[in-house]
Amino acid sequence: MNYRQAIQTAKAAGEKVVPTVCGMCGPGGPGGGCGIYAFVKDGRFVKVAGMDESPVNRGAVCAKGHAAPQWVYSPDRLTLPLRRIGKKGEGKFEKITWDDAIARIAETLQEQKSRYGSESLAMLTPAKRSYSDYIARFLVAHGSPNYGHSGICAVQRAFCFMYTIGDWPRQYSDSDLIIYWGRQPIYSGPVARPAKAFLAAKQRGAKIIAIKPSVEPDVGMADIWVPVRPGTDAALALAMLHVVVGEDLVDHDFIDRWCSGFHRLKAHVRQFTPAWAETITGVPEKQIAEVARMYATTKRAAIDLGNGVEHTPSSNDAIRAVAILMAVTGHLDRPGTNLLNTPPKHSPKPISLRDRITPEMVDKLVGPEFPKAFQPFIEGTTSAYYRILESVLTEKPYPVRTIIAPGTQALVSNRGSRNVAAALEKLDFFVVADVARTTDIPYADIVLPLATSYEVDHPFQAVPGWIMATNRVIDPVHSPKSIFDFFLDLGVAMGYGGDFWEGSMERAMDDQLEPLGLTMHDLRMKPEGMAFPPEPPIYEKYETVFNRTSPRLGGAPFLPGGKVQLYNTTFEAAGFTPLPEWREPPESITGTPELLDRYPLLLSDYHTSKNYSASWQRNVPRLREIAPHPELHIHPEAADARDIADGDWVKVASPHGWMKVKAQRYPGIRPDTVMILHGWWQGCRELGIADYPILDGGANVNIMYSVDPDKAYDPLVTAMTSQTLVQVTKMQEQEGAQ
Amino acid sequence: MSKGPMRTEWMIWFDHEKCTQCHGCEVACRTWRGLDHGVWFRRVGNVWRGGYPQVKSHSVSLGCLHCVAPGCAAVCPEEAISKRESDGRVTVDRELCTGCGACLDACPYGVPQFGPAGIMEKCDLCQDQPGQEFGPPCVATCPGDALSLRAVKIREKAAHQKSMLAWMASAGG
Repeated sequence: MNYRQAIQTAKAAGEKVVPTVCGMCGPGGPGGGCGIYAFVKDGRFVKVAGMDESPVNRGAVCAKGHAAPQWVYSPDRLTLPLRRIGKKGEGKFEKITWDDAIARIAETLQEQKSRYGSESLAMLTPAKRSYSDYIARFLVAHGSPNYGHSGICAVQRAFCFMYTIGDWPRQYSDSDLIIYWGRQPIYSGPVARPAKAFLAAKQRGAKIIAIKPSVEPDVGMADIWVPVRPGTDAALALAMLHVVVGEDLVDHDFIDRWCSGFHRLKAHVRQFTPAWAETITGVPEKQIAEVARMYATTKRAAIDLGNGVEHTPSSNDAIRAVAILMAVTGHLDRPGTNLLNTPPKHSPKPISLRDRITPEMVDKLVGPEFPKAFQPFIEGTTSAYYRILESVLTEKPYPVRTIIAPGTQALVSNRGSRNVAAALEKLDFFVVADVARTTDIPYADIVLPLATSYEVDHPFQAVPGWIMATNRVIDPVHSPKSIFDFFLDLGVAMGYGGDFWEGSMERAMDDQLEPLGLTMHDLRMKPEGMAFPPEPPIYEKYETVFNRTSPRLGGAPFLPGGKVQLYNTTFEAAGFTPLPEWREPPESITGTPELLDRYPLLLSDYHTSKNYSASWQRNVPRLREIAPHPELHIHPEAADARDIADGDWVKVASPHGWMKVKAQRYPGIRPDTVMILHGWWQGCRELGIADYPILDGGANVNIMYSVDPDKAYDPLVTAMTSQTLVQVTKMQEQEGAQ
Repeated sequence: MSKGPMRTEWMIWFDHEKCTQCHGCEVACRTWRGLDHGVWFRRVGNVWRGGYPQVKSHSVSLGCLHCVAPGCAAVCPEEAISKRESDGRVTVDRELCTGCGACLDACPYGVPQFGPAGIMEKCDLCQDQPGQEFGPPCVATCPGDALSLRAVKIREKAAHQKSMLAWMASAGG
């Protein structure tokens, strides 16, 4: 509805309406920050409606958005700042004040800084959030490079694309053919732009190909399903290159003018035949060739490469091979193809202090997400999330002493939960800041309860084409402090007040809005925010984009000589493979056939779901009722062979651990593969569902995978494996009883 | 409204080609109507057709269809369920309902719900709700316009009922 209708609706119901930005998938996060009208009855937040005026969601709201009031009033909300008094993991705390908590954190950081150096502090980040830049800012102000990025999401694609074709061309429009590859266009933001674009493409009659191991609703709406084995996308992409190059379906004019290394690429991909790729990917060679030809010969064709390719040791190879596919077929920055980006207009002031990053900081990265030669990257200097935790155990190259985890759960959101638990136990000082109970809390030294975005009046949300002020919907139910307050308060307590607007939120907001000629007050006066109509596209910007400088210290260009790196001399010089290769995951059907007797099925996990934000929000009844139990998708053939019925509790065992979950007989999955959503641990009190164990016997898929330093990682971009081999067995009555 | 075959009735129409199974409609309905745990006026489901690798999944979002000839009303011993002549809406008088469950047995779509009070409740097209002039929340929140509030001819509604039954019958896997 629009603002006028929202006011009318509220009036008729004796309610008040507040226009604001949805806070359920992390504002500014993957969903993009949808505009909503929040309704308040007698001081209580009761419901929301989608804001027609927002160009992000145009009136729609997803399940999560509608469930927001239950999240805000959940009995799982954190209510008071706490200090640990029991043993680590025991969960014994005493109440302290917010100011006391901030003072204790500051005191510890000061002391550790003088004893061990600034780099002894690391902060873990969840997905990109509207507060991510505050994390980066705090770390630079403190002098630590250890911004802990997941190492498995988005930036891996950005990195490989940018160092291959100078840009990450995520956008496309009016394509006749779209290949959704390892991509979930719906769940990441069901009412946001990718889902809307998917629906629009479908309505327009575009041909849609979906490449992924199982059929989700988007695959149900696609024309062709390419059922690839998890973790084998690089083999598939290399075989597609073999077909396209071998059959000369390439754009020679584009290659001659804008690419370097074609002849070496041509010789290299000769070995990767579709027949070879069939053995690895499980996709019939005929289908591989067909899809490659269809893409190369359709003029207006685009590839939407998703997060699914960022979880395997040959992740960088898969991404580079896809970037190369786009380039050699000339499907770049032309109508209907993947489009190169123009720098956004109407952007607020960047606050990550990246101009203060020094070579010494890069050198001190505890576990670089990308090799040091390529630091900083677009988010600043980054260490891989898991490598930070690992350093605590190995003390190599040095042990991190304090970890601050705002809005992220190391035990379930990251690989290697067993080692993570040991690291949290050993860690000197651990701070958790969140709105609701998280699984890591028993290990925390300080727990800070945060207000949700419905309870505060900041920040502003800026997404391309739209900016809007967050407005306070209700008075804080518990803590009045937001994650933004946390950084301002801690910044001041550390003596970094000059970098943290002397603790003034108003100044923080106004400073960032300054390039737009706005203050927060001005912005708040526009209840539906400000929309900026999209600029008409400019095509074939090769000269400009291919000569862009990289964010590395020294600012060398992404592409030497301004040419697409089919053969990558930059990577070669740094000791990495100049051409994309195939590397097996630590355990796989073709890589470790000796394990198939004991572990005959391939396991991987879903990164997103329709009703939860990663490992968050299992406590919200209206979301939990949609999918109450952790369910393993298993093909009916594989289930029959194991006498498994729908809803049976099953034991899923890999060489690294085991889970107890429910089976869902799922016709839309490869019969050799089983999959489950990640992030399960939290119970839901209102529905009488208890928490699950974090380690063996629970439903946390992250205990199932290898974290072997030699096998589990992509060598260039971290990307840790989320593939292993498993056996699935029906649990006996007493074992399976809840 | 005119009588006979040209008569129109209201309903929430579902177009499965436009549904992404986001479940927004389900939760919008439950929040706006304040429904109890376990009570659903609308449910989103998945229907499988075919076998691997030609398998297809299809989406269904199902609430009360306000049937042309509602089986629920026909069997209700208390005459608590009635169909309004003027707009075809099927409503339940919760004062008269005893919660016997006969309507649930009679409904081929499994629509009737019995919350903690044990009295039947279901979708009423939100016609008496504040803001109803801007459409039911399930319809308003749909990102693909898969749901729409429509006045349709009886023949069309009967055909839609039949097609929804066919979708449900093919479910399983």
